[in-house]
Amino acid sequence: MAFPSGSVSYWLRRRFGISEVRREKFVLTMNRLKEITNSVVHHRMGGIGFAILGFFVTMAFIAPFLPIPPPEHSFLDSQGNQLQYLQPSWEHPFGTDQMGRDILSRVIWGSRVSLLVGFLASVIAGVLGTAVGLVSGFSGGWHDEVLMRINDILLSLPWLALLIVLAQILGGHLSLDVIILTIGLTSWNFTARVVRAQVLTVKERVFVERAKASGASNATILRKHIFPNVFPLVFANTILTVAVAILSEATLAFLGKVDVGTLSWGVVLHEAEASGAALNGWWAWIVMPGLSLVIVILGFSLLGYALDEILNPKLRER
Amino acid sequence: MTEIQRMVLRRLRNALITIFGIIVLNFFLINVMGDPLTLIGHSPRTSPDVTDNTCLRLGLCARDINGKVYELDLFQRFLAYMKDFFTGNMGTSFHWQNTAVLDVIGPALSWTFLLIGTSTVITILIGMVLGALSAQHRGKPLDLATTGFSLFFYGMPFFWLALMMQLSFTKPEFNLHWWPVFPSSQEYDFSIAIFDWTNPSNIASALYHLILPAATLALGTVAGVSLVMRNSLIDVMTEDYVVTARAKGLAERIILRRHVLPNGLPPMVTLIALDMAFIFGGAYQVEYVFSYRGIGWVTIEAINNYDFPVLQFVVVIGGIAVVIANFLADLILIKIDPRIKVA
Repeated sequence: MAFPSGSVSYWLRRRFGISEVRREKFVLTMNRLKEITNSVVHHRMGGIGFAILGFFVTMAFIAPFLPIPPPEHSFLDSQGNQLQYLQPSWEHPFGTDQMGRDILSRVIWGSRVSLLVGFLASVIAGVLGTAVGLVSGFSGGWHDEVLMRINDILLSLPWLALLIVLAQILGGHLSLDVIILTIGLTSWNFTARVVRAQVLTVKERVFVERAKASGASNATILRKHIFPNVFPLVFANTILTVAVAILSEATLAFLGKVDVGTLSWGVVLHEAEASGAALNGWWAWIVMPGLSLVIVILGFSLLGYALDEILNPKLRER
Repeated sequence: MTEIQRMVLRRLRNALITIFGIIVLNFFLINVMGDPLTLIGHSPRTSPDVTDNTCLRLGLCARDINGKVYELDLFQRFLAYMKDFFTGNMGTSFHWQNTAVLDVIGPALSWTFLLIGTSTVITILIGMVLGALSAQHRGKPLDLATTGFSLFFYGMPFFWLALMMQLSFTKPEFNLHWWPVFPSSQEYDFSIAIFDWTNPSNIASALYHLILPAATLALGTVAGVSLVMRNSLIDVMTEDYVVTARAKGLAERIILRRHVLPNGLPPMVTLIALDMAFIFGGAYQVEYVFSYRGIGWVTIEAINNYDFPVLQFVVVIGGIAVVIANFLADLILIKIDPRIKVA
């Protein structure tokens, strides 16, 4: 579908009362976005990452329309017993689990929770990390000291123990929202550090001084001059955080710290471990969800590094 | 006072503040967000009649002059916790009845150190060699293969790697026949107290059971080391003095040893220190999968059984270890890297 560019601007103007200047800015932003997307796709690492994520995100979206059995459906034999621990076959390409459920279907449906937790938790972490980094870098002084010490403390605590304790305490029972909140609250440190470092350099630039001299308030300087300059970095970092968040969720789920009934790759692996799949040689049950996990994490890492290289002016000059 | 002394002092101050913060946060994590007594009440292992004792033991209650038990408020509890902590009184475990926390942690910690020590030595050696080779053959097939291998293993969850190792190396009827067969640690015979330093006849068996967990942990961490080593060396290799050395006609081997390595190594020190937290996290998962009775296994048991005294101590000890490792790394860096004047 191709909209004539005039009609979009007409719609925008009617809907939001957007002025010519705003419209031009919008078009500029869109062009820049298109440029970035192009360079990511043509970047060797970024292209692979993009393809991987495209595949898995599509899979997550179209899961209900695929010709696979429902993930909670137990297959029964003629006597009404569950067909447990079947080995891979044409009917069940990855075999069945301890309740006779199709593992292929569970892996496909599991991508939904894994990706959802990854995205939402990293949004929380991104917002929190950016806020902390901006305040810490811009105001300096004791604000900076306090925030950075808090950062140090959180970075030093044993990550997994912190995650489990926090989840246990926040929720009691670990529903999806508690998990997302927990992971979001524990993975903002790295973003905060990167943003702070970037703010420290941007702050010294001439245009900030000029804005100050012309009487701009601190809030305006932060919003109009500093934030746009750190945003690309935040974006690249948030993509990297998604990988960390997915990994965190999988680890929590694998240790059995997620509500029964949630379906993610970590849960499938937890059930495999609890059923002794590794010792019984039921390889597909372990290999498939784990491999999906590893490939998705690889995809986010590749995309994150590619974006960093494209958006980070320091790396681009080289 | 010189600039360097001032810098060391500032780092020391920060490290102390961080350690203090960890101790305080540890208290609030467990006490503010949920009442430990209510949580203890949820535990199937604690019967109601021990509540008073539990309360006293956790430092949630105290006896007044008449010997009557009364509940302390949050601030009083905090003071009691701080006093206990700095006088070395870590309390008694709930789950392992009548065992002091230190007696639960001590042996577990020694097994974890054995695991982490072995794997870290392997990781550093292999990782540095891989990284150096990769940097030296930059852009050639060897480099691409190494980097690809590293990237693939870099984001791999430790627990999955451990499961895969178990799948491939343990049961003879399932693994590929040309691979050596190792015992899966899920098959420890706990009746002979295998995790016991005092019985020398068990040590050989314990070490045999160490091979797979250590190899797993090493395989999971080697990627990070080799990637950083490669990038750090490549940074140095483009410096002018290396070009000069090459122009003088020095052999590649000598350039690498005399000019590249000494300047490329300092970042590795920081990396390995920063990695400590990551390696501990990995060790938790590896220990869980292999039923290896180290600190990670104890932590997960403590969480599952609401064993707060043990949990508190594990979290604090882990945090402090990381802070100290980072501080030492800073010191070493200042010592060996002449470029650092003021951070």
